[in-house]
Amino acid sequence: LTLPAVVEELLSEMAAAVRDGAPIPDEHLLSLKFVFGSSAVQALDLVDRRSVTLISSPSGRRVYQVLGSSGRTYTCLASCHYCSCPAFAFSVLRKGDSLLCKHLLAVYLSQITRTCQQLSVSDKQLTDILSVEKTQEA
Amino acid sequence: MAETLRRVLNLGIAAGPGKNTAEAEPPLLLLGGPGSGKTALLFAAALEAAGEGRGPVLFLTRRPLQSLPRRTGPALEPLRLQKIRFQYPPSTRELLRFLCSAHEARGPAPSLLLLDGLEEYLVEDPGSQEAAYLAALLLDTAVHFSHRVGPGRGCGLIVALQTQEEGGDSGNALQLALLQRYFPAQCWLQPDAAGPGQCCLRASLEPGGLGPREEWWVIFQPDGEMTVTRWPTQAVDTSSHKGSSSGGQP
Repeated sequence: LTLPAVVEELLSEMAAAVRDGAPIPDEHLLSLKFVFGSSAVQALDLVDRRSVTLISSPSGRRVYQVLGSSGRTYTCLASCHYCSCPAFAFSVLRKGDSLLCKHLLAVYLSQITRTCQQLSVSDKQLTDILSVEKTQEA
Repeated sequence: MAETLRRVLNLGIAAGPGKNTAEAEPPLLLLGGPGSGKTALLFAAALEAAGEGRGPVLFLTRRPLQSLPRRTGPALEPLRLQKIRFQYPPSTRELLRFLCSAHEARGPAPSLLLLDGLEEYLVEDPGSQEAAYLAALLLDTAVHFSHRVGPGRGCGLIVALQTQEEGGDSGNALQLALLQRYFPAQCWLQPDAAGPGQCCLRASLEPGGLGPREEWWVIFQPDGEMTVTRWPTQAVDTSSHKGSSSGGQP
């Protein structure tokens, strides 16, 4: 599950701009809106509210959790596109009319802007977080 | 992970010294109907990787192998066999539990992760999100093993999936399309004309945008011996048999 090259390029340009200490240029925000529609605004809102947490354990395994606007927490894998939210299941996987859900986009944007919250847990706790995801939708 | 399989299929003819490209290799989906030699090829890939002087090979399958595939390329050396660790998760829940807790395991991280019979883990739980989570967790586990193995080496991932006969229902097509998004590199095994007692298959490797398609003949003799010959032409006419391309499957 890979992003189109144009999206990768946009994200890396945004990352380069932020590395130089500048705010994300407006034209990039407009491109983001163009590519992702309303998800872009919602994702930026999640980033502003610092809703993205990078959870890591001593093993080095990592996973993201995003606190959604509804108050529910969704799990996003760090290594490939996966989010436990219903929009990912429906719009991204089933219908294929979206590239990402707002939570995954928020993960990428918070990586770029380095605004992830960090949380260290034990290896066992990380297992539980990954396992709980399975039953979340049930 | 196309490189390990390519070496198996080339049987060392053109392989030369082993390239340590595992880190850049995308995960590979091995597809074929019942009895198309998927397990034999996976086992050959396990033996190939076990001889590379790297970490162990982890082989996940629901059922123990009934017999060791015979002469599947690399020799059945005891030292190689010892490096292949089998795990038999009996259910989808147990497989998920294994993958979710893979980072808790001690000891050297595997250099190759193999799963045979993914379809058996998908029948229990046919929802698209569950299938996606299983695929994503397999990738995530391999990435974690790669991280532990260290830079420049990595852990490969090959997953075998039994495809439906012609005219499978739309749910299966949807599931296959979903899996193909997580596994850009695919190898299709398809039956071809066979001699008496032989089973002849055509293996088409599509390395997921990293190179041209390659094809081989894989022939199983009545005694189970596997022989592989490279499809003679380098440039394959893709239009002549679209059934083996990823887009043309039912």
